[in-house]
Amino acid sequence: MKGKVENKMLRDIFRQKLESAEVIPSPEAGVNLMRLVGRWEFLRFNPSRFNIWYAGGIAVAGAALAIILASPVHKKNISGLLNTNTSEDISSKKSDEIQSSGKYFELEAQSPLKEAGRIAKKTARTNTVASAEKAQLAMPGSSIVPAGQIASISGKDIFKGGNPVTDNLRSQSLVTENIASASVTEGCAPLKVSFRNKVVNYDSCRWTFGDGGTSSEKNPKWLFDIPGEYIVTLSVFGTGNLHSSSSLTVVVHAVPKARFESSPENAILPNDEISFHNYSSDAVKYRWDFGDGSSSELFEPMHSYKKSGRYNLKLIVSTEFGCSDSVIVKNAFSGSDNYIEFPNAFIPNLNGPSTGYYSPKSDEASQVFHPVSSTVSDYQLRIFSRNGILIFESNDINIGWDGYYKGNLCDPGVYIWKVRGNYLNGEPFTKMGDVTLLKN
Amino acid sequence: MTSDQQIIEGCAKHDRKSQQLLYDKYSRFLLGVCLRYASDKAEAEDILQDSFLKIFFNIKDYSGTGSFIGWLRKVTVNTAITNYHKNLKYRYHIEIEEFVSVETGVESFEEDFFTADELYKVLNGLPAGYRMVFNLYAVEGYKHKEIAKMLGIDTNTSKSQYSRAKAVIRDKLEKLGKLKNRYSEDNN
Repeated sequence: MKGKVENKMLRDIFRQKLESAEVIPSPEAGVNLMRLVGRWEFLRFNPSRFNIWYAGGIAVAGAALAIILASPVHKKNISGLLNTNTSEDISSKKSDEIQSSGKYFELEAQSPLKEAGRIAKKTARTNTVASAEKAQLAMPGSSIVPAGQIASISGKDIFKGGNPVTDNLRSQSLVTENIASASVTEGCAPLKVSFRNKVVNYDSCRWTFGDGGTSSEKNPKWLFDIPGEYIVTLSVFGTGNLHSSSSLTVVVHAVPKARFESSPENAILPNDEISFHNYSSDAVKYRWDFGDGSSSELFEPMHSYKKSGRYNLKLIVSTEFGCSDSVIVKNAFSGSDNYIEFPNAFIPNLNGPSTGYYSPKSDEASQVFHPVSSTVSDYQLRIFSRNGILIFESNDINIGWDGYYKGNLCDPGVYIWKVRGNYLNGEPFTKMGDVTLLKN
Repeated sequence: MTSDQQIIEGCAKHDRKSQQLLYDKYSRFLLGVCLRYASDKAEAEDILQDSFLKIFFNIKDYSGTGSFIGWLRKVTVNTAITNYHKNLKYRYHIEIEEFVSVETGVESFEEDFFTADELYKVLNGLPAGYRMVFNLYAVEGYKHKEIAKMLGIDTNTSKSQYSRAKAVIRDKLEKLGKLKNRYSEDNN
């Protein structure tokens, strides 16, 4: 009840204080809001407020539509004109510009008067205009000469020197379809890619790798270490800043991370079944190699070994793109080489004393107090009562305590044991503990 | 002074002057609501702005029967909930101390011991989930069932969030209370 009363208090404090509390907004908040409202209101069509803005908007939209509709016609015109000029390699806009600028200079050199008349068109100059002019002029000269060549030859005096013929060659080679190639375009991170610039004749080039890196080498090698999709662009610069570029995409897949643990931590083989805990990330496929010739493809397998010993564990994980990672644990369960462990309770056979011999499989095993061990050579087990009386002693690891003392069953309770001995490799061991004798 | 009725009619006609009047009249109260749901004043003002946009453009939905201020508040609270959902992905973690804090307090607080400002600070410092549930339940007075529906969580989650929020708040208030007591002792 007390809690209930208190809840109410806490609630009341907040409700009374804050339910109608007022906070003064910063002045910008109001200004921003009204500005935003203004914008929304403007966008909301309202015939009653039809004004010059709407009219203007409609006009702009109409103009934009007209331009969009007109543009395919323009393109058609251009290609038609270019074909008549027997120009083969002109497909990009860039080359059109080259020519039109060349054309421009030509006009200047040949007929300044004509040019003066056209100067008004300078601002609104389109490819169509330039090409059309070219068509007119190319015809009377010689119809075999490609348009590009006219441009460079006639522009010779105005361009800063240089052989017009090579200029022409260059400008043609610069517009090749695909000038960049890569050794690989898809792979696992870190991905090393060798790029190749297929252009033979150029002044300078620049690679941008899409991850912020650039290079001006002809055939650079680049390492992509972060997964992602990168657009690699090669730009080639010729004389007079003419350039062409081409792009390719490099896909770098993430690499998974293999990690696992096994439990129990200090497993005793072959008794313990080993659980494997998978902490791998970004993987879809798993392959475990348990080192004893068996394997599994489960995410978290369990495994029992038939023999004690050291095993090399291996986990290989991979993604759907085939990127993989592996982790190897060498000499796993090496802690299992030398060990001796005792139980903390046992139930003696009530029917009478036994020899103390036990075999791991028989019922006797649970009726005799004995260790599980490996590689024990020398061994002495002594068991004391709580009064400190030695009630059992064994120098044979195969003989355990049956729970009897001088032919009589001992009282249920706690008994102290102490064991001393050596492992096969000479390492000594001493352990003490207690065991509870139970009776059922 | 223009009455609410006139303002509402003006806003329904998208009259800028009425909108400005509405803002001037109610922004302080509504920011008080927003601040309870936000982690700081900047976020509160964002919620306020979104709320006013909703209010301006949906003012026709106000039936005119209930209290106008109640309607404004409801719109604002709903906007705060939307804002909470929008930002949910940035707020998935809760500090462990806050999560495991135990209900310690048997202390009750004097009503006027804490100022509104201090209580706002306490709310602003809460994890967003706690803040939502506490506000909706304790201050707004919604039932856990309704809150669960509004926030898209389980009713039991709402209840447990509320009780944890309470524990955290109590803890914070106690600390603040001690601090204040010490301060006043020092002064005396």
